Amino acid sequence: MPKLVVVERDYGAVAAKMAAVGPLMDTLGATTKGVTFTLDKEINYLRQKNGTVRGGPADGRPSLARDVDACEAILAMSGTTNGHLATQGFETLEKRTGVKLADLAAEHEGKRITFADTQGPPVPVITSPEWSGSEAGGRRYSPFTINVERLKPWHTLTGRMHFYLDHDWICELGEGLPVFRPPLSMSALFGEPKIGQTGEMGPGGELGVTVRYLTPHSKWSIHSEYQDNLFMLSLSRGGQTIWISKEDAAKVGIHDNDWMEAVNRNGVVVARAIVSHRMPEGTVYMHHAQDRLIDVPIAETSGQRGGIHNSLTRLMIKPSHLIGGYAQLCYAFNYLGPTGNQRDEVTMIRRRSQEVQY
Amino acid sequence: MRVMAQMAMVMNLDKCIGCHTCSVTCKQAWTNRSGTEYVWFNNVETRPGQGYPRGYEDQEKWKGGWTLNRRGRLALKGGGRLQKLATIFSNPKLPSISDYYEPWTYDYSTLTDAPAQKHTPVARPKSLITGKNINIAWSANWDDDLGGSIDHGHKDVMLKNIADKVKFEFEQTFMFYLPRICEHCLNPSCAASCPSGAIYKRAEDGIVLVDQDRCRGWRMCVSGCPYKKIYFNHKTGKAEKCTFCFPRIEVGLPTVCAETCVGRLRYIGLMLYDADKVLEAASTTDDHGLYEAQRGVFLDPNDPTVMREAEAAGIPRDWILAAQRSPIWALINTFKVALPLHPEYRTMPMVWYIPPLSPVVDIVRDTGHDAEDGENLFAAIEALRIPVEYLAELFTAGDTAPVDAVLRRLAAMRSYMREINMGRLADESLAAAVGMTGVEIQDMFRLLAIAKYDERYVIPPAHAEQAHSLEELATECSLDLEGGPGMGGSGPFGEGSGVPTPIAVENFQMLKDRQTSDSVVETDHRRGRTNLLNWDGKGKPPGLFPKSHDNKPKDDSAQSDSPGADS
Repeated sequence: MPKLVVVERDYGAVAAKMAAVGPLMDTLGATTKGVTFTLDKEINYLRQKNGTVRGGPADGRPSLARDVDACEAILAMSGTTNGHLATQGFETLEKRTGVKLADLAAEHEGKRITFADTQGPPVPVITSPEWSGSEAGGRRYSPFTINVERLKPWHTLTGRMHFYLDHDWICELGEGLPVFRPPLSMSALFGEPKIGQTGEMGPGGELGVTVRYLTPHSKWSIHSEYQDNLFMLSLSRGGQTIWISKEDAAKVGIHDNDWMEAVNRNGVVVARAIVSHRMPEGTVYMHHAQDRLIDVPIAETSGQRGGIHNSLTRLMIKPSHLIGGYAQLCYAFNYLGPTGNQRDEVTMIRRRSQEVQY
Repeated sequence: MRVMAQMAMVMNLDKCIGCHTCSVTCKQAWTNRSGTEYVWFNNVETRPGQGYPRGYEDQEKWKGGWTLNRRGRLALKGGGRLQKLATIFSNPKLPSISDYYEPWTYDYSTLTDAPAQKHTPVARPKSLITGKNINIAWSANWDDDLGGSIDHGHKDVMLKNIADKVKFEFEQTFMFYLPRICEHCLNPSCAASCPSGAIYKRAEDGIVLVDQDRCRGWRMCVSGCPYKKIYFNHKTGKAEKCTFCFPRIEVGLPTVCAETCVGRLRYIGLMLYDADKVLEAASTTDDHGLYEAQRGVFLDPNDPTVMREAEAAGIPRDWILAAQRSPIWALINTFKVALPLHPEYRTMPMVWYIPPLSPVVDIVRDTGHDAEDGENLFAAIEALRIPVEYLAELFTAGDTAPVDAVLRRLAAMRSYMREINMGRLADESLAAAVGMTGVEIQDMFRLLAIAKYDERYVIPPAHAEQAHSLEELATECSLDLEGGPGMGGSGPFGEGSGVPTPIAVENFQMLKDRQTSDSVVETDHRRGRTNLLNWDGKGKPPGLFPKSHDNKPKDDSAQSDSPGADS
């Protein structure tokens, strides 16, 4: 059972509180990956850097009134951009782990990267316990080098790399060691048609083909850059697309750049076809996170706006996903949740009316 | 011997990930103006694929570049002066906008302005030519990652000779990216095609430029360039092209495309060459001999005779030193891994490429074999003729021997360095098999894999004695520029007199004016003049007519775009 804390909210004061660094930072510091950072110096620094709020619920706190203020606060409170904090964090970690670490950040202890620094050329970050790699001495980042080279214990029950998970539920599922699991049969589980089958779908009884539906990241978007600016759209197809093999396209009369509709039990997507021999028969993919605001028409099937790559996917949870509070099997945002099993989906796809409505 | 210096580039295609950062930053810097919507000085095409504009390599269709006439003399494929004159008012050998693409934008404002409605609003594409809704059917990079290969793949001009071998089947898929800029050729057919003599090759560094004042918009250069890297600005009616970012090069900075390249695959440096030998080399009878012929034009910057002749030719000492340190010289000559793009066009291109080993490596790896093993790779280069022959069509006029040799060197390096990385004894026989020593392999590895910014870009800055830059930078007020508070403007006797403003020190206001202005006409009213040769016939630039005393003076920024709209 996780620890539950009652929080009282004064909703009229939320905006004022959001625009200032809160008081709990003074007493609790900030914790990430089990390392608590003391922030008293940083809070005082931010008072000087951003100015202090006068009056109201956040009286006396460092201001976060402007976007730049928020950036300064983030940069001041992260070890990767504040050498003092990185060293402090490693010293804390040295006490916990008994291995020497602080020297990794000591070369930059006095260094602080401000917002102005980030507006010039790219600035390398400082090695910090927030991450598992070392960039000390100008080396390039690689994950887990601190664990491997400095013998910092891994965040597991044994402190070692774990391949065997001796949790009762996992053992019961036969997954104590990594095992191959074939894709789920969507036809057996949810009554979807079998892969490779063609059949009538759509308002006019058009022929559709059932294919495996994958949503990989594209080569030029997510995390560091977006594909949906005018230049990048001019260098691609100018809207959302689904890649399909020539064999599947031929089965249902789809040509390159045709409007298609993909439908399964979860939803509908309208996109243009990219027919290529680069795709194997039986599989289509729709690149992750194309912009639904760009040239997405109304779907014939639903009468609604065409949908995005995730319109056809849904998370599926099995018992092992629900394990928590057990050493490395603890839930944290973005760190342990259901695995990407929703990326293993099937859909029926067909050529739709080329007269699209918006 | 007539020694000249040429700024050149080499791109290592194994490192190109097709991210298009070079294209985007180039366009943002140089062609984000009206009239140049479809213009990509830098583009990255997926090969096999048609490139941009589509099918530009089909010289039977476009008649670009040079050919040998019946007497074995070099002649423009598009015809000489007489033929140019006869067809000057109707030049049929031009790519139309459909060979490029119809540029578009989106009605982005709908996303924020749309009233409450049943469906979430979307931004629809609008043609930048007609302003109307557009059904996007082609783009600047339609066949990215082999997209649409079933409908369009066979139109790749390079497949003409090997069409029966390249099958568009999943199991035989191979591809790579080819980033392209202007080749800044030693023997530029664009310049030779221009009836107005507006295109010139700079004497000091060989950069090919269009004189915007002399260009009359005949578009013969667009036809004449076999790489289709000259574009017609339909707003100004003048030709524009990649400038090798000369304002940056002059101050020792790499081009925008190289500076921003994520894969760090571009190298920039000087090549010394013998200008007297260019014509002879370009006239080599056998297409297969052109690669070696062009290499024969280059001069060894370490040769004392060459150094002496270069100094006699007025090439500054530090340029000669830079030519000795040039990564281009090393890649083309010392390591012999760089090849020219389409030597058979006989323009003596100066942007060279290290052909990619990755199509071979990928196949070896995908079949479950060790793709770092030298023997495996050598055998694969022997066996996998399709990618090799395709590369030869691009880089050596179809001769596979030089491509084989380069790929074997790259394979040997990969395998040799793997042994060292694994802490094993290096296999000297691998180096010997490709005619190198282990030390040479390590030097090549250092240049290809380790070399930092200052070794990838060895660019000596322009010289005071060659340009007016020092005078402008050091002896005048730094704010005394057009548009600056010093209001230097042109010289006392009108445009063309006095000292031009160096673009390298272009101030923010000028940059903004240039990028947001609808015309290339200088709109600064303080100058009170209009260069009619530059006037695009649209609007009424201030200074065209004397100021009217009846009305209050018009705001310069409010000039109309439609002729005769206000008078």
